[in-house]
Amino acid sequence: MANFILRTAEPKDVCDILRLIKELAKFEEMEEQVILTEKELLEDGFGDHPFYHCLVAEVPSDQRTSEGYTVIAFAMYYFTYDPWIGKLLYLEDFYVMEQFRGFGIGSQILKVLSETAVRTRCSSMHFIVAENNKKSIEFYKRRGAADLSYEEGWRLFAIDKERLMKMSAK
Amino acid sequence: MNFLIRAATKNHCRDIARMITELAVYEKMQDQVKISSGELERDGFCQNPFFQCLVAEVPQEQKSKDGFTVVGYALYFYTYSTWKGRSVYLEDLYVMPEFRENGIGKGLLSTVAKVGKENQCVRLQLAMRNWNTPARDFYAAKGAQDLTVSEGWHFLRFDGECLDNLAKEAPHD
Repeated sequence: MANFILRTAEPKDVCDILRLIKELAKFEEMEEQVILTEKELLEDGFGDHPFYHCLVAEVPSDQRTSEGYTVIAFAMYYFTYDPWIGKLLYLEDFYVMEQFRGFGIGSQILKVLSETAVRTRCSSMHFIVAENNKKSIEFYKRRGAADLSYEEGWRLFAIDKERLMKMSAK
Repeated sequence: MNFLIRAATKNHCRDIARMITELAVYEKMQDQVKISSGELERDGFCQNPFFQCLVAEVPQEQKSKDGFTVVGYALYFYTYSTWKGRSVYLEDLYVMPEFRENGIGKGLLSTVAKVGKENQCVRLQLAMRNWNTPARDFYAAKGAQDLTVSEGWHFLRFDGECLDNLAKEAPHD
């Protein structure tokens, strides 16, 4: 095997994208946390102001999965901003179905994303990864990624909806 | 103290750039600031802006010792969670030291939360250094959870030469 194409996701891909999001969440043992729907993915990714961009990897029909899927990987990203250096590309999710790993699909996706970053004048590509995901950390470090939590002491914080509503009501 | 929080306009970019540098000095990273008010104008006020910004202003009679009336800012943008959808990311929040303890920081954060809520955002995220105890206390009081500690999330980055090298290997049509 090794035939695959990488392309920009289209509205018709939202069903596959949601399926892959749930598979990745299952791998992270957080499947029940996915509350996003196909409708939201469609509105948010393909409306007037897209909140994200998506690449998908597709295999030919004769290499489809046992359930009949040909879209077998995806990467979701968006642009963020660093007030010191300007535009950045933020990689939100990146996943290749297990049976299609080891064929360079992940590497190719990362290269295309890097090219997108450089072409759109981004100074760097950022993302987060769970510290127990050793395989992913090794994958990224082999390609030159720096762990900013470790090297510069950065910690990620979140304030959830309930607290946001309390704050905004004041 | 009287202050007003509102959406920044192009005219605020010089003040925002000034305060970005002040915040970088506090974080001991001033040599890392590479952009100027020109880039802020270009990137924040184009058709599809890359960031949004709020500024806090005081009346003339309360201006800073150097004569500034724009005394705080919050720079944020929209992100996306594949689990929950639209989110807000607070990139910078800063109030000039002589104007602190007057509720301006809280006002800025609440306004970002309000804007986020109006745009159906389900959460607000931010990052800070582990040594920044005043910031951690400020956000913890508002209910922020440290996901690096509780869930083990680490920030990673590709930049400079390694980003260029990766990009060169991308397939061409």
